[in-house]
Amino acid sequence: MISGKMMRILVVALMEVRSYLRDKADLAFSILLPVAIFALMYGAFSGQDQFNGTLHLVNEDKEGIYSTRLITQLESISSLTIDYLSPSDADAKLEKSDLLMVVSIPPDFSSKIISGQTAELIFKQRGNGGQEGQVVASIVRGVAGNIDRELVIQNEVKNNLADTDISREQIQIAVASFIEQEQIAPSVSVIDEVVGEDLNPVTSFLPGIMTMFVLFAVSLTAQALVAERKKGTLERLLTTRLSVGQLFTGKFLANTSRGMVQMIILLALAQIVFRIFTPLTFLQSLVIALVFTAAVSTIGLIIGSIARTEDQASWIAVFFTMFMSIVGGTFFAIPQGSVLETISKVSLNTYANNAFRTIIMRSGTIRDISFELLVIAGVIVVGMILSRVLFQAVLKGK
Amino acid sequence: MTEPFLVVNDLHRSFNDYKAVNGVSFTINKGEIFGLLGPNGAGKTTTIRMLSTVLPPDRGDIVIGGYSVRNNTDSIRRLIGVCPQELALYADLSAFDNLMFFGRMEGLSSQEARAQAMSNLEFVGLTDRAKKGRVDKFSGGMKRRVNLAIALMGNPQLLFLDEPTVGIDPQSRNNIYETIEMLRDRGMTILYTTHYMEEADRLCNRIAIMDAGIIIALDTPYNLKSKLGPPEKVNLEDVFLNMTGRSLRD
Repeated sequence: MISGKMMRILVVALMEVRSYLRDKADLAFSILLPVAIFALMYGAFSGQDQFNGTLHLVNEDKEGIYSTRLITQLESISSLTIDYLSPSDADAKLEKSDLLMVVSIPPDFSSKIISGQTAELIFKQRGNGGQEGQVVASIVRGVAGNIDRELVIQNEVKNNLADTDISREQIQIAVASFIEQEQIAPSVSVIDEVVGEDLNPVTSFLPGIMTMFVLFAVSLTAQALVAERKKGTLERLLTTRLSVGQLFTGKFLANTSRGMVQMIILLALAQIVFRIFTPLTFLQSLVIALVFTAAVSTIGLIIGSIARTEDQASWIAVFFTMFMSIVGGTFFAIPQGSVLETISKVSLNTYANNAFRTIIMRSGTIRDISFELLVIAGVIVVGMILSRVLFQAVLKGK
Repeated sequence: MTEPFLVVNDLHRSFNDYKAVNGVSFTINKGEIFGLLGPNGAGKTTTIRMLSTVLPPDRGDIVIGGYSVRNNTDSIRRLIGVCPQELALYADLSAFDNLMFFGRMEGLSSQEARAQAMSNLEFVGLTDRAKKGRVDKFSGGMKRRVNLAIALMGNPQLLFLDEPTVGIDPQSRNNIYETIEMLRDRGMTILYTTHYMEEADRLCNRIAIMDAGIIIALDTPYNLKSKLGPPEKVNLEDVFLNMTGRSLRD
């Protein structure tokens, strides 16, 4: 049997939810915005775990044996797309800064190599060639270096065997075979070892974007409260048997439910698009989402309690959302040991983002994020008390 | 008609340095319609906010139905109904849903709230519009009637009507008068504020005139008019202007 007090709380919550569902624009905004955000995130982050670049190439040694070989090797690199340009096009685009880096193979590239002279690859660039241009240039240098090394070995072997009747073709085949062996079982190999946090952009920035999105609801909660106060319905409700505590608990439940629906959509999309959860980490993330959404709901109630107008509520909420998001490391990683790291401790997002990252990266369980959850839960308790006290103070004209 | 139902004793309320209510005392008897008149800023709304338990007094006491506002807020709220000056309605709900919601807040069960909502809407002549359309599509007069019907949810014994006829046409105003008279006939105690003097003259058993946070006159309409001349030749507005002056207050 539900008590009268609990019934009034539930009726207030239900009323709030029904009002939210009746406002089609609000509803569409709440559901479609997470989808839109994910479309943007997918565009921004998908495939960014490895480099993909474009080599803008001018080849003036079209029939040359060594230019062909260089291009064949470059084409075999999966992270490189080759964009062939004429010399005039390349110059025009460089001039207009449409391109920052162009690699040019001169007409005498192969003939110089055959005649034993030093052949040149020309890297034309604006400024430092841009970040992508620098990486592409280093890949081209690596491929050119491999070809150069092979030619050096061939010449060295040929010089040493000058007095024998071993043909040039035999030397080429033997050297090619040797290099192939070297690639299969190199004398020096490189091992990739990830230390510390995974810097995958999805796992780094997804929590921040999700928490920032939920923070947007602060504005809706605060504005709705101010609007009700201006309309007189809140004061009228307080002449009924509903207490301020029951009123705020009802609104808190409704706003938390709304935020949770958005969070479930965001987490489900994160799983569908990025495949970052196991069933267990998904459930653990739901727990974090619930605690964070509840804390955000109380902050909305605090702002709604002190703001005099809807515009004021909106601006306070926007400032709060941006401050919490920026300081909470939504848009960039907070350097450890920095002043910003100290400031970030005042942001609710810092704790929520850390908790989400721990779970998503599977570097800990719910027990490992108990501190973060306790901090956020503390905000809920303080927020509920503070919002009620401030609301009553404003109502009494203090 | 002599059993006191509401007793106000030396009520004070300030906002910062401004004394909105400065030592107000009066009594309303059971079944009486008591008019509280005064120019803008006289302290009427602040008094009603204190009487309806929204605002605690700085000093003094209010006793309603034997309960003091100091320590029996919940008991008092069971006895009162408030029809505020502004249309405190949920614009996106139907009239019936508005009444249902406030009925549930008054502690009624779903079934009780439903029955009372239909009964009250019938009482204010809105049965045919009970569930048809949102209240923001209603005319000004219909909204005022919904505002009044909400105040009747929970069957209050004391009703606060704060300018319930402001901004509506004569037909709707007359409908509200008739409704209030029916409530009086049922024995309901009513505290009524208005700026329409003929309204107060028609409805109220006694009238208190407030100005600058104090009550400057309290008597029956007949006796108040007698102070200025023969009551049949004097209207209440003349009395009001004589007592409160003709200077603008806003």
